[in-house]
Amino acid sequence: MVDRPLVPITCTGLSKIHDNGVMALDPLDLTFEGGRTIALIGPSGCGKSTLLRLIAGLEQPTAGRVSLAGLAPAEQAARGAIAMAFQDPSLLPWLTLRRNIALARTLARQPADPRLVDELIGLVGLEGFHETRPAALSGGMRQRAAIARALATRPQVLLLDEPFGAVDELTRRQLARDLPPLWQPLGTTTLLVTHSVDEAVLLADRIVVLSPRPARVVADLPVDLPRPRPPEMTETPEFRRIAAQALQALAQGVADNPALAAQ
Amino acid sequence: MTTLARQAGSPFALLMLWQLAAAATAGRFLLAGPVEVLAWLSANPGLVGRALSVTLANAAWGFLTGNVAAILIAAVAMGWPRVLPLLTGLALVVFCLPLIATGPILRVMMGPGNGPQIVLAALAVYYTTLIPLLAGLRAAPAGWFDLVATYGRGRLAELVHIRARSSLPYLLAGLQISAPAAFLGAMVGEFTGAERGLGVLTIRFARDLNVPALWSLAAVAAAISIAAYLAIGAAGKRLQTERPPVILAPPRLSRGSAPDRLGHAGLLAVATLALWWGGMEALGLDPFFAKRPPDLLAALTVAPEAAAMWQALLRAAGETAAFVLPGYAAGLALGAGLAMLLSLVPALAELVTPLAIALRSVPIVTTAPLVVLLLGRGAAGTIALVALMVFFPTFVACQHGLRQAPGQVLDILRSYGAGPLRQMLHVRIPAMLPAFFASARIGVPAAILAVTVAEWLATGRGLGNLMTLSASLSDYTMLWLTVVLATLASILGYAGVAWAERRVLRVFAPEQVDR
Repeated sequence: MVDRPLVPITCTGLSKIHDNGVMALDPLDLTFEGGRTIALIGPSGCGKSTLLRLIAGLEQPTAGRVSLAGLAPAEQAARGAIAMAFQDPSLLPWLTLRRNIALARTLARQPADPRLVDELIGLVGLEGFHETRPAALSGGMRQRAAIARALATRPQVLLLDEPFGAVDELTRRQLARDLPPLWQPLGTTTLLVTHSVDEAVLLADRIVVLSPRPARVVADLPVDLPRPRPPEMTETPEFRRIAAQALQALAQGVADNPALAAQ
Repeated sequence: MTTLARQAGSPFALLMLWQLAAAATAGRFLLAGPVEVLAWLSANPGLVGRALSVTLANAAWGFLTGNVAAILIAAVAMGWPRVLPLLTGLALVVFCLPLIATGPILRVMMGPGNGPQIVLAALAVYYTTLIPLLAGLRAAPAGWFDLVATYGRGRLAELVHIRARSSLPYLLAGLQISAPAAFLGAMVGEFTGAERGLGVLTIRFARDLNVPALWSLAAVAAAISIAAYLAIGAAGKRLQTERPPVILAPPRLSRGSAPDRLGHAGLLAVATLALWWGGMEALGLDPFFAKRPPDLLAALTVAPEAAAMWQALLRAAGETAAFVLPGYAAGLALGAGLAMLLSLVPALAELVTPLAIALRSVPIVTTAPLVVLLLGRGAAGTIALVALMVFFPTFVACQHGLRQAPGQVLDILRSYGAGPLRQMLHVRIPAMLPAFFASARIGVPAAILAVTVAEWLATGRGLGNLMTLSASLSDYTMLWLTVVLATLASILGYAGVAWAERRVLRVFAPEQVDR
């Protein structure tokens, strides 16, 4: 474990009303423990991504506040403590894979570390593609590259917004096994937004189930399965039990919403 | 047919047609074919070489200063986004200034030498670079900016790591269009009172009715323009891996609600007047030729000859309208019509499209003496010149637009057995509309430039004639009034097209409106 302070995330009375008047978040109170991996699941458009963007400081809340170990998101961002992988890999098309990943360190004002970059490329299974530009990579390869970039600054807070959207099921399961060991020893607080219940159970220490928009917490489930979690674990009764609980909570969230239930 | 044969095929066919037309009209002082052009050029290499070197140098200086200005303006707009609507508005106003009138004004301000030609070349250039560059600087996906923001970095890091590189294809596309435009500006500058250059030779041979010389000079101007266009295109290909975007026309002047747009227009009017008046005072320009807004207002209201001024202006404006409106409409109709026709006959399109793209880069105005030669000094020649000026950009834009038709929607139509005509009506024409309107907007100042050149060279009527007449009589009040009138007409025409565009696109391409 890297010796550095953990960064817990606290959301207090957090609400967000978009410019078009849509309320994405009801006043929300949530705490994410430092150094843990927490999955956020909920129906499409429920405000999961908005929550992540508020925590990253990419958007400002309408009310309430986000605190990352006592600092505002912008302050932690300026220290290079935060990294984010988006639904879209957002690789720069004119840079090679290696330079795309190294860019994160430049932006975070960290010294260049070619060895770490090469190591990350290997860890996400892109060995041999160092000098390849994004256009020549498949969708799944690009998403893995984006995850490598997010890890390149050894962030204290890692925000993953459906980063496996374009990855096939097999690779997805492999990544779910291979990736957590990359950030867990760093004491990184990881928030993962996903649609996949199985993915949430495979990756997270805790699952927060959100209701349809405006998001509120429907269930908060601990995942105390041992690590590492190989793909075969999805077939075990314990895994299925937690997945079923999460699914039930998702369905409950929809049922509690009169407008959606009527549909 | 191989690609090479196809690429070589259409220019070769054009040369053959040109020679055949010259043979058919031999002895009528209309047309010199490629053979005569080559003969004349080989007989006068020194004369053409000297004139060409002067014009090229002026165009190159104009290209450089105009583009540097465009890049600086874009940098200011990026650092201070609130001024963006005002900056693009002012840029449009300056772009709409009629070169035929600004030429003589610059001449009297700057004296003899190459100054006015270089300024006109720069004026013709900066807008064609500024607009794509502004588009490019803002064209990057939101995710890239989120990436920068995630690491707590601001506008400077965005500019260095994202915008500077992502706007490069747009900058190159702008530079590519601006190379022929610089040549156009330099030649128009030479039309209006220079001592040396291709423009000066053109005017001289037009007066002498030296047909082979005129065709030779136009061929040289066209060849240089196409070569510059292709060279920058090739340089762009070497510099980058991603394909450059197709730049059709500037974005709409301002977005937002109707009161917002009115506010912007009012602010733009005030800023224009303030810069005009303030600039003249700051530079201490002689009020004899540098007329201020109150001078013009007085000339139109309290001066004894105000009524005569009004009469002369309105008559000239009416005459110009009678040329420019049919020419503009014909250019738009022909451009869009031919693009639609060719999309129904793809084999023909393969032959015509490369030619049209190359000809789009030819500064049509520099070939004005030829159009006058071919179609006479009456309405036909002027209307044809205006139509030509509008035709090429419209044609290229509409072809691009027709190709934007969504393939899946076309597949659905095909699955119901819809033929090419119904596909055209229901899918391709709606897909073409944004490109059509974009070219219709930028076609307005182009049409005004073309009509004023033709009026001055040929018809002896209209605003173009009034401009040159006032310049030769040193009637600077009237000259400035014609500048204001022509600029106002361009801006209002542009705004009118933008108004129609909003209404049509709201139905057919709502994603392009109110963003």
